[in-house]
Amino acid sequence: MDYALLLAAILTGVFCYLGAIESPWLFGMTGGFYIVGRPLVAGLLVGLAFGDVKAGVLCGLAVQAVFIANLSTGGATNSEITYAGYGGIGLAMATTKDPGVAVALSILVGQTFGLIFYNLRMAFYSYWNARAEKAAETLNTRGITLNHLIYPQISTFLLRSVPIFLAVYFGKGLVDWLLANIPHVVTDIISVLGGVLPALGIAMLMNIVIKNKAHLIFFFAGFVLLAFAGLHMIALVFISALVAYLVFLASRKSIVAPVGGPESVEMNRKRADEDVFEDEDLF
Amino acid sequence: MKDASDNVSLKSKELRQIWLRWGFTHLSSMSYEKIQAHAWAWSYIPFIRKYYKNKPEAARRLLLRHSQFYNTEPQTGQLINGIVASLEEQIAQGKNVPEEMPTNIKTSLMGPIAGIGDSLIQGIIVPILLSIAMGLATGGNALGPIFYMIAYGIIGPTISYLSFKSGYKLGVSAIDTIVGEDAKRITDAFNVVGIMVVGGLAASLIVLKTPLKIPMGTASEPLQKLLDGIFPQILPLSMVLLSWWLISSKRMSPTKVILILSAIVAVGVIVGVF
Repeated sequence: MDYALLLAAILTGVFCYLGAIESPWLFGMTGGFYIVGRPLVAGLLVGLAFGDVKAGVLCGLAVQAVFIANLSTGGATNSEITYAGYGGIGLAMATTKDPGVAVALSILVGQTFGLIFYNLRMAFYSYWNARAEKAAETLNTRGITLNHLIYPQISTFLLRSVPIFLAVYFGKGLVDWLLANIPHVVTDIISVLGGVLPALGIAMLMNIVIKNKAHLIFFFAGFVLLAFAGLHMIALVFISALVAYLVFLASRKSIVAPVGGPESVEMNRKRADEDVFEDEDLF
Repeated sequence: MKDASDNVSLKSKELRQIWLRWGFTHLSSMSYEKIQAHAWAWSYIPFIRKYYKNKPEAARRLLLRHSQFYNTEPQTGQLINGIVASLEEQIAQGKNVPEEMPTNIKTSLMGPIAGIGDSLIQGIIVPILLSIAMGLATGGNALGPIFYMIAYGIIGPTISYLSFKSGYKLGVSAIDTIVGEDAKRITDAFNVVGIMVVGGLAASLIVLKTPLKIPMGTASEPLQKLLDGIFPQILPLSMVLLSWWLISSKRMSPTKVILILSAIVAVGVIVGVF
């Protein structure tokens, strides 16, 4: 029995539970989903578990690029990032330690098993919810604690840690078989898909922030500042803050007329509008 | 019959308890049916022990009105928890606040706050911190993930704490600050930052290139080079716009869009376009 692998597999399973969206231990989503759940951090933690930090971080870095626009809004998600991160990176670290393999496995795990497990759990937890509401009705505070916290967390622990532990511990044969038998075109498709997947997360973000089709102009402005002008992301944040401030000034109602009367407000607004669209000169 | 606790205000330790109980367990029993509902009831358990010791009927009503469907961005959403804490305190003290008020506030604010919070946290802070961290992690440097852990480990709880505190302090008047005319201008302007940053993410996060070559007289030129000359990142942009159109206009679920993207990529790779 390989004790080093056993320990590493157990740790990977436990991390996968701690990084889950519903895990409470690290200040809820803040330390769980948003920190331990990110593949970049997963790479470091799994690397520590396997005693090879450098390879772990490299795998995490590669997987993070695919899932950087992972999103969870109202329980709907574009991929199960925690299963993907720990399943993919854990399996890769147990076998080839190759970032490319980690990416392919993460996509496979995140878009298939991960989403299936996630959706089943989301449906199943209605059962605990119903019991928690019943407990509230009967003023049974212990019942609320049990059905809001204890039972759901035990279920989550089993649903996250056990499959990931089994996959990492017994996955070597499976991964070797997959690598030997998957046709080349399939691995090509998976690696191209890894590059395209962030598009969905970005589209979901657009769906949140763009409330008016005319606002697409801001989206394109941000796009061309990076794609055409080659600016750094941080530079874009400052420019967009400037644009936002101008939009704020421009949206002022003329009732709050400053010195100079309504005409100057009109002029200010006009000028602000021009400033807003200044970025478009880059087209 | 008056309770001894009737006119006593919440101590800061008790407020912190409400903040922490929500902060830790907001999604603990997350299902599609209720999402964050029961974290509310759970965070008010010490509260009912203080105010409703001898009033089981009122305590029951409180727990029930805090067991209803609720869903917002849970960190910036602490603002709502703060407002509701101040309302529940007044209700418990017997002040003239109707018991439906907390429910109304929750249902009317959770949408707007989720919109602002999701674009702030998932749209701006997390992707930007991650891209800095990924830069630091090149070559397998552990500094990258460590930087991200520390940075978000400070920013996340700070946002949560400040939101709760200002919600409690402002109480109902916070609503004007959130949905009033002036606030709409601020959030609209703020939204512009979100949209522009998302545009930047679209230009930098997606990798899609074509290996096709086009004949140019006797030699042949890579199509990608030509595309880069005319419109850099046009292929990633088209994928983003397609996904956005499917989600916003066609109302498709993310899972369906994944299937469509996979089909496009599979066909593209087999034909040799990607």
